[in-house]
This record gives sequence, structure tokens and C-alpha cells, in this order.
Amino acid sequence: MPGTSVLDDIELIIEDIGGGGKPPAGREGGDSGGGGRRVPGGSSARKYAIAIALGMVAILVFFMAMVAAFLVLRMKNPQWKGVPLPALLWFNTIVLLSSSGTLEAARKRLGATNERGFKNLWLLTTALGMTFVLGQILAWRQLVSAGVYGSVSQGAAFFYVFTVAHAVHLLGGICALLYVGCRKFGAATVTRVAAAEVTSYYWHFMDALWVFLLALLYLGK
Amino acid sequence: MRQWRNWQTHQLEGLAVAIPWRFESSLPHQAFSNAFVISHLFFSLLLATAHFQRAPDVSYVPQAAVVTAMNQLDNQFGDEAAGRPRGAFGGILSSDHKSVGLRFLWLAQLSVVTGMALSLFMRVQLSRQAAGSLTAPSTSEGYAAITLLHGSLMVFFVLTAAPQCGFGFFLVPLQIGAREMAFPLLSGISFWMTAASLVGITVSAFLAPLAGSTLWLLGVVCFSGGMILAALNLSVTVLEQRARGMTLPRLPITVWAWFITAILSLLIFSVLTASSVLLFSDRLAGTHFFGVAAQSSVSVMSIWQRWFWFFAQAEVYVAMLPCFGIVTHLLSIYSRRPLWNERLAVLALCAAGLFGFCIWGEHMFASGLNPYTPLVFAMLASSLGAPSALLLICWFGTLWGGAIRLTTAMLFSLGFVSLFLSGGLSGIFLARRELAGGSTGDALVTGHFHLVMGVAATFAILAALFFWFPKMFGRRLNETLGKLHFWLTFAGVYLLFMSMHWLGLVDRASNVTSVAAIHGLRTFLTVVALATVAAQVLFFVNFFWSLLRGEPCHAKNPWRATTLEWSVASPPPGENFRGGVPVVFRGAYELGVPLAGEDFVPQHLAPEELAKLR
Repeated sequence: MPGTSVLDDIELIIEDIGGGGKPPAGREGGDSGGGGRRVPGGSSARKYAIAIALGMVAILVFFMAMVAAFLVLRMKNPQWKGVPLPALLWFNTIVLLSSSGTLEAARKRLGATNERGFKNLWLLTTALGMTFVLGQILAWRQLVSAGVYGSVSQGAAFFYVFTVAHAVHLLGGICALLYVGCRKFGAATVTRVAAAEVTSYYWHFMDALWVFLLALLYLGK
Repeated sequence: MRQWRNWQTHQLEGLAVAIPWRFESSLPHQAFSNAFVISHLFFSLLLATAHFQRAPDVSYVPQAAVVTAMNQLDNQFGDEAAGRPRGAFGGILSSDHKSVGLRFLWLAQLSVVTGMALSLFMRVQLSRQAAGSLTAPSTSEGYAAITLLHGSLMVFFVLTAAPQCGFGFFLVPLQIGAREMAFPLLSGISFWMTAASLVGITVSAFLAPLAGSTLWLLGVVCFSGGMILAALNLSVTVLEQRARGMTLPRLPITVWAWFITAILSLLIFSVLTASSVLLFSDRLAGTHFFGVAAQSSVSVMSIWQRWFWFFAQAEVYVAMLPCFGIVTHLLSIYSRRPLWNERLAVLALCAAGLFGFCIWGEHMFASGLNPYTPLVFAMLASSLGAPSALLLICWFGTLWGGAIRLTTAMLFSLGFVSLFLSGGLSGIFLARRELAGGSTGDALVTGHFHLVMGVAATFAILAALFFWFPKMFGRRLNETLGKLHFWLTFAGVYLLFMSMHWLGLVDRASNVTSVAAIHGLRTFLTVVALATVAAQVLFFVNFFWSLLRGEPCHAKNPWRATTLEWSVASPPPGENFRGGVPVVFRGAYELGVPLAGEDFVPQHLAPEELAKLR
């Protein structure tokens, strides 16, 4: 039975039904929509979810390429000089993790149509995100004033590249948070609920990525 | 007594016996390339004679007196039949996918002209090199800059931009039955990032080396960003915007190819961006990722090479996969037969893409890697023959017994098959370390990749252009001029790049033929290159003349093809499907099926209409 969702198509390929057959009756042509999607708000919301998933794959590959280089260089170099991580970084991590928590709380409020609760928590999330970035800048300044520049050693260079790249991507996430928080969603093709869900994927991904990078830098120093 | 559909098929079967017999004779190695050229010329001449026999003419919409029931059905889909030919589908800032696709094609055309001019300059330099020297030619930085620019323009802006972004953006929504791409804004952004990177890269060739290479790198990063956005856009479109009934198995193979290429681009351009970021950091922030770090006595050898080739080897598949898709599609349509084992072809495309990630080391045999690495990489690189062979079998299986129609587009598609086969064969030798590691000259590698990547892909682009020109512009390209251009180019590129293979073989042979002979060979290459580039003038004359004053072709489906883009007016209206997006009922390759005086069943023909026509 030719379906319109990707999962149906995968079944078609695997089970070799042989093509042909009537499409489901009673719906006008055009939209590919489809049942079985989890994101509310229509097929246009699903396309944003897929887009952000592919975007996360690309960003992951970007970081993993650098991590691969980091691992190889670290293993091959007996005189590796790592960077002592400033204590500020642990505080920043807690800030970022709590921002993920407030983000989820905000989404729950939105689901319960608590507009005010959502707005407050969303604002808090954005503020926590900005605090994280400011904290990173402070940490870089601390290291620079201690004489740890990127040119000092490969360890320092990787530290800066990882943290700067992560912060730049997080800034993109903050822009998304601001967009979802400030935009009027009345006549939009995507509901606020869907937009918040897609943003949450990205934000949690950035969170997890940071924890991973921090662990890598901590264990690799 | 065996019956053949026509005398051409009879001849093809004879060749299938004759060619293996020819090669089983025990000729010495050096005669290999001669035999290949000769048998290919013979095969091509045979096809040329086939042209002079006119097969039943169902390729164009029949004249007014003979209107099939199928034509009547064409006009029932709510689209006006006569669209005035429009140029850009909206202004230069429009985010209409057709406009963006055409803009990418214009960009590619500009780049190919510049790239060809640069290649001529390089050839002149190479042949002016002193007769006694066998080492690399002029090592001046200017020459290196020109080479870099030629390579960047051709690989990035012609081979990546045109087949994937140019034709992909124009055709994917039309072929899947969508009104627009998933993210129209991203279409425009990816084009302008590509245009900006073209400017940056071109300018970088004229700057002093340090500033120039930094600007080049910036251009490459900008290009990667544009390609990542385009890939995202295309993937989401194919996954989400398909019309009702257009399941993944019913996708035309061109869409499969664009989709797989989009996924690949997403991955490889992220890797390129990562390595470029690190290189930028080295150049501007004083870090030591790639150089030997001040404090460490151990550095990983050739790390930039590893990263670059990890990207670049997969990049050649990003360049080639859309071309495979286009050629497979056209071979089916112009032989009026369904694709031979369509699912296998799609799997072969996936495999080719996947294998491309595993063979970066094959480019580094001379870089001083661990001596055991060639064991792995040579094996993996040779295994790329498997998906390539599968695709070749699919192509020949599709052609076999078909009512082959030798339009210019078909000639270019067949030319692609020929070039890919002969150029690919030298790849089998290059995959082995003993040859690639230093006993052959660079010209062997250059000849190989130009045949498989440069010229073959260009033939696919030209085939696509001749095929979709009526749809894009509502006019027809001149077939006579097109065929003349094809034959001249076909002869020219074989003469040029097969001789380049030969140069590579003798260049470093220990019993070297006379130095004057090598010099003579280089001069020969330059003369042939000049002649072949001059022949391209025919194409540009054809293209621009047809664009401005060509014969109008308002028929929706001049080639009698099955896919959805042929159900709309030529050129398509802004929203693509004016009377409502069609519903899809079958796969894309129902050809050779007698129906209502014709031999195909369009994808969107409803079962009720089909029953009426039977």
C-alpha cells in the first residue's frame, strides 16, 4: 500500500510489495503530510524537525573531525601539554545543564497553554544560555592572562578551537530561542509548540556536545 | 534463427563477442591503450552509422494531423499548453527553485569558460618547458596559482554546482510533485554563498601567495557552507515534499542520485569546514595543528593530506553521482525501455557514495605512510570497481534490445558510458601502489581523472542540458549543431586524455624514449587541447542562439517521457503545477509499453484514464 510517510516507504522497500496500488482516497493532492508523525502542527513542522536532525548530523561530523585529530595527536605525542581547565568551566556547565531543564519546563507550560509560565521560563533559558557564553568569554580571558595562548601548545590550541566552535554554535541556538520567544505565531504555518520542540532538539544536542567536549578536554589533558 | 529488433542490436551483439576476443590475444602491455582507442573508435563509428537510419519518429510531438489520445490527455491537466518562454522565473533575487537552479547553471557556465581558458594557459606552459627536463614544469607560484584556480573552478563550481545544485534545484520539486523546495529562503542563500565564494576564489589567484591562499580558504569555507545548506534543503524536500503516491521506490533515479549526493555533501563539507577552520587557526592565530609544534618532537605525518583527501575522494562521488543518475535516466528514456533492475542501480549509487569515504589513503602512496597501509587502501580502492560495474551492467542491460534514438542527449549519455568505462579502467591500475607510487608520471593520474570526472561529468551535464532545455526555456537546441559538437568533442577528449595516459606511462620509464619524443607528445597534447576547446564554440553558439532565437517548443512532453516534470507547460509556471499537484500511480520507467499509439505510461496517469486509453 503506497503510504506517504517515510516509514511506510521503508517497509515497501523491505517487503518488496511490488509497487502499484491506489493512493489513499479522500485527500486532496499536494501536501505529502502523513500520519505517524510525532510533531504536531502539520507536515511543515515535520520538515523542520528533519532539517534540524540533518543539521545536527552535519555539526556532529564537524566536531568529530576535530575530535579525531585531537585524539590522534594526543596519542602520538609523548610530551603533550594539556590545558588546566579553569574552575569557571564547571560553573558554566551547571548553567548550561540547568538551561536545558528550564527549557523542558517551559515546553511543559506551553503544552498546558500556560502562556505566561512559558514566556518566563523561556526567557530564563535564554538568559542562562547567554550567561554560559559570557562565562566562556571570561574563562578565555582568564587563560589568556595566565599566558595560555592557542599558539603555546597543541593542547591549548584544541581547547580554544573546541570551546570557541561550541560557543559559536550555541549563539545560533540563542538566536533560535529569541526567535521562538519573541515571534507572534498567530498566522504562521508552524505552531509555537512545534517550533519549541525543534529548538529543544538543538539545545539539548548543544548541551550534550558540551559535556562530551569537556570530558574529552579534562581526560585528555 | 534469432530475431533482432533492428540491425543496430544485431551489431551490438556481434561486438559483445568481438571485443573480448580482441583482448584475449597476448599483446604487450604498451599496446593496451592503443587497442582500446581503436575499438572504441570502431564502436563509435558504428553508432554513427546507426544515426543515418531513421527509426519511427515518435520522439517529438506528432504534427497536427496525427494527434494521439495521449496528447489529448496531456492537455487535460489544467495547464496551458503554450507558455511564453521566460528567462529567469522571477528576478535575480527570487527564491523560486527554478530560478535558483538556472542561476547555478549560469554560474557553472561562467566557471567552465574561465576554467577552459586557464587549462589552455597551463598546456601552453607545459609544452614550452625545456625539452631536456623531465621533472615537474614551471614551479613558479604564478603557475601554481593558475593550476589551483583551474582545479577549484572546475571541481567546485562546475562539477559540484551544476549537476547537483543546478539541475537538482530545478528538477527535484518538479519530479517529486512539489510546488517548491522545503526551504526556499535557503535556496537563495546557498546560491549567493556560492557566488561569493566564486568571487573570492577567483580573486585569490591574483593576490600574493600568503594572502591569496588565505582568501582561497575563505572562499572554500563559504562554498562549503552554501553546499551544506543546499544539501539540507534538497534532502528535506525529497523526504517531505513528495506528492501523494510518490513513494520512495517510485522516485526517478535522478532524484535518488540527488538525494544520496545531498546526504554525502552534508557529511563531507562538514569535514572540509572542520579542517579549514583548523588551517585558518594555523594561518591567523599562530596555532600549530598542521606544522610541527614547537614543543613536540613527534608530529603526525601528512595530516592535512589525510583530511583533504578524506574530503576530496568523497567529493568526486558528490560530483559523479548526479551524473550517474542523469545518464541512467536518459539511457532508459532514449532506448524506450525500463531501467534494468532499478533497485540494484539505486543500491550501486549508495555503495559508490559509501566506498568513497574509505579510500583517501589511495592518494597518499607517495607520502611516506606506514608501508602496510597500501594493503588496505589498494584493496578498498579496487573494490570501487564493484558498484561501477553494477552501474555499467544496468546501463547495458537497459540499452540491450531497445529502440535506441540517437538524439544529441543520447549521444552524450553514451559518450559518458564510454568515457567512464575507459577512464575508469586506468583507475584499476592507479589503485595499486606499485604504479601510483612513483613509477608512472603525473600525467597518468591527470589523464585518468580528467576522463572519468572532468569530461564524463561534462558530457552528463550536456546530455541533461539537451534533454531538459525545452522544459527550461520552451525552445529547442539545434540537433545538427549539437551532434557535430558531440563528435568533435568526443574525438578530441579521447585524443587528448588517452595520449596523456601514454605520456604518464613513458614519462618515468627507465628505458625512456627519446626526450624529443616526450616533448613532441606534450606539444601534441597542447594542439589537441586547443582544438577541442575551439570545438566548444559550437556548443556556445548553439546554446545562445537557441536561447534567443531557437525554435519554440511549447509541447509539454517532446521526448515522450514518464516523469512528472513533463506534465507541466514548457517552461513551467511559477507554482509548478497549476491545476493541482498530480497524484502518482506508478514508477518512473514504464517505457516500451504500447498504449494509445505510443509506448509509455506517464507516472501521473490515473488508472481510470489508463483503462480508457487501453
